[in-house]
Amino acid sequence: MRQSFTEWTKSGAPWVWLNAGAVAICLIMVVGLLSLIAVRGLGHFWPADIVQGNYNENNNTIRLTGERVQVVSVPADQLRDSGVKVPEGVEEMQRTLLKIGNRDHGGTDFIWVLDAFMKGEQKPEMLFAAERREWGNFYGYLRGIKEDGKIVSSYDGYEKSAEYMEVWNDFQARIDRATLIRDQIEDIEKGRIGSINYELERLRLKERSLQLKEVTDQSRYQEIDNRRAELDADYESLQGELLALYTAANRDSITAEISNGKIVEFKMASVVRAFLPNDMGIGGKILHYFQKVWEFMSTDPREANTEGGIFPAIFGTVMMVIIMSVIVTPFGVVAAVYLREYAKQGFVTRVIRIAVNNLAGVPSIVYGVFGLGFFVYFLGGHIDDAFFPEAKPAPTFGTPGLMWASITLALLTVPVVIVATEEGLTRIPRAVREGSLALGATKFETLIKIVIPMASPAIMTGVILAIARAAGEVAPLMLVGVVKLAPSLPLDFNYPFLHLDQKFMHLGFHIYDVGFQSPNVEAARPLVYATAFLLVAVIALLNLSAIQIRNHLREKFKALEM
Amino acid sequence: MTSEAKTHAIDISSMQRDNRILNLEEETLALEVKDLKLSYGDNEALHGIDMLIPKNRVTAFIGPSGCGKSTLLRCFNRMNDLVDDCHITGKILLDEENIYDRSVDIAELRRRVGMVFQKPNPFPKSIYENVAYGLRIQGVTKKRVIDETVEWALKSAALWDEVKDRLHESALGMSGGQQQRLVIARTIAVKPEVLLLDEPASALDPISTLKIEELIHELKKDFTIVIVTHNMQQAARVSDYTAFMYMGDLIEFGVTDTLFTNPEKKQTEDYITGRYG
Repeated sequence: MRQSFTEWTKSGAPWVWLNAGAVAICLIMVVGLLSLIAVRGLGHFWPADIVQGNYNENNNTIRLTGERVQVVSVPADQLRDSGVKVPEGVEEMQRTLLKIGNRDHGGTDFIWVLDAFMKGEQKPEMLFAAERREWGNFYGYLRGIKEDGKIVSSYDGYEKSAEYMEVWNDFQARIDRATLIRDQIEDIEKGRIGSINYELERLRLKERSLQLKEVTDQSRYQEIDNRRAELDADYESLQGELLALYTAANRDSITAEISNGKIVEFKMASVVRAFLPNDMGIGGKILHYFQKVWEFMSTDPREANTEGGIFPAIFGTVMMVIIMSVIVTPFGVVAAVYLREYAKQGFVTRVIRIAVNNLAGVPSIVYGVFGLGFFVYFLGGHIDDAFFPEAKPAPTFGTPGLMWASITLALLTVPVVIVATEEGLTRIPRAVREGSLALGATKFETLIKIVIPMASPAIMTGVILAIARAAGEVAPLMLVGVVKLAPSLPLDFNYPFLHLDQKFMHLGFHIYDVGFQSPNVEAARPLVYATAFLLVAVIALLNLSAIQIRNHLREKFKALEM
Repeated sequence: MTSEAKTHAIDISSMQRDNRILNLEEETLALEVKDLKLSYGDNEALHGIDMLIPKNRVTAFIGPSGCGKSTLLRCFNRMNDLVDDCHITGKILLDEENIYDRSVDIAELRRRVGMVFQKPNPFPKSIYENVAYGLRIQGVTKKRVIDETVEWALKSAALWDEVKDRLHESALGMSGGQQQRLVIARTIAVKPEVLLLDEPASALDPISTLKIEELIHELKKDFTIVIVTHNMQQAARVSDYTAFMYMGDLIEFGVTDTLFTNPEKKQTEDYITGRYG
């Protein structure tokens, strides 16, 4: 029998469809978003083949070498309008974005080409790609290796051969050597000289503070001078070491032929890695891919953040979230305990509760402004006056930094923790509280020993929500402590190890900076996706660990079935 | 047992009891209630109760739901203080001292007057820690003392043999009856003078109930016990004295045997013969 429409409506079937549909749309959007950033971002690290071909546009043939990055189709009319000679009858043409690299020789490292005008396309196995510390990628044919300006090996052909591989292997060995030396240089510059500079600065501040306190005891000054002389001597010897290393690093250079036939030369030390993408098997490509991904996650950025890794940003994000959690948890819990357990329930508590809930809805940039005005300038300024007069006029805490960013975000997320904790506190059975009170425990003892531990899973829920909110927040951070490039990590081996006054890098801000402030938009775009993907991964990881802790607590304090 | 059972549902002859004739006049007193009135807001729940609770005896409070028996019980360790807008006048004397006096330390009072609730409410801690909780609250830190007390309390609560091999497992894994005995062990571990039991067996199965009743019988050697119960057989089985309450008034108070077999008041008789309640 056919159901009438009213019956069908009454049966609830459309309602079920509506609900299921809404869930499905949500799921599709989430999966779509994640796969978009994952594919766009992670695809960037795949070693693409290098194509070479003769490009003829407006009767002017040039040889182009590069990686295909993106293909789009353009209406032919649009091209005709801009003066391109498009054959009659063609409606649409394919246009390819080619990464041609060699920015130091051509001025630009990306170029749009029309596929129809690209003739004689091939993928020579001998073409190599080199990632460099500056000027971006290099593509060309290896022509020779020089040691102290003298040629030690060379090769002239365009075909792969045993001799070529010999030169190539020599090249790789020398890159490894140069990389090793560079690591040593970095270790000295960042590590040892960094420590010396840090201590010198501390000595300067110590001396200044002695002067400010008008200490006249010359032996104290003498002590500082002695130590400074020691450090200066250390510094001199390190400088000598560095000089020797730099000379060693700059010993080798290579010559290579670029696409217009010119032979160019560059230092071996500037090469991060060189590879032959057209000659790589699938295994080699996969290996290379994972090396690149690892490099992206574990190294410092290069070239205005468009190359290299984003480790300092990951580190800064995680660090800030952890410090934020450490601040927000006790603060939120204490506030919730007062509101729920001690305060007399009535009009005032209701108003406070509404205010707390509304606080969660205040736009985050407002917190940023507040943090800058109150924490950084007011509190920070007074802390500097009181504790760091020797550093003035340079601010110590009176300037945006990790601590203020964490506190600002703690303030931003404290309503979430308060609400979740209150929720948890109300759910603790009255019987358990009475059981504790009946044994002669005071209300305080009952709270500390029974109620708060039992509410800890709910508190963790609050912390999880706080983490999720804080880790993704960017706007307030731009005002209270994030920078596009921080010279050092906020955690290192120099006393006092955790530098709360330092500025730091953050994944969210990094996305903004790379995506919108970068001079090299084409190079930066895939990194925006990759960084976004990593940001999502980091937040997911932080959340998962918090959820893990919560599940553990839940198991431990499994609610009494009452 | 002299008189023939007048009530019908209760088999008085099966009650285990000392073959002593009880007499309220000869008892030492544990608690003395004087003109106790209690109101929640404008609603008076107890209308001036006067009562004597004899020492080392089991006193049962019976009466229909809402008669105020639990409320009265909770007055003895000032649990009603936790209820907002609860107002109390009158006196309850414990060792000649009014527990509602301003100078009384409530935590100390509750240590002296322990309480077991209707539903087992163990803490989400190990069995050992549950029993040690009250001691730790009092600041006992010596492990040997705590160990000994925990063992003594669990033995007194007839639980030791069942749990001695899993003292450090969570108390929440125990059965309801075991949990209730654990709560009793936890309460007696702080050596209170008076033990208040608020329908301690109402959430338990018959076998667990029997165990709790046997336990009450054992415990009265050391403690004064006041028990609230819905179950008249239980009151008859375990108590020496019984108080019948109705609508916030104490209707009748006396030796259990007498009250059940020969009640003075019509209301008492109606209730114990099941005519209302």
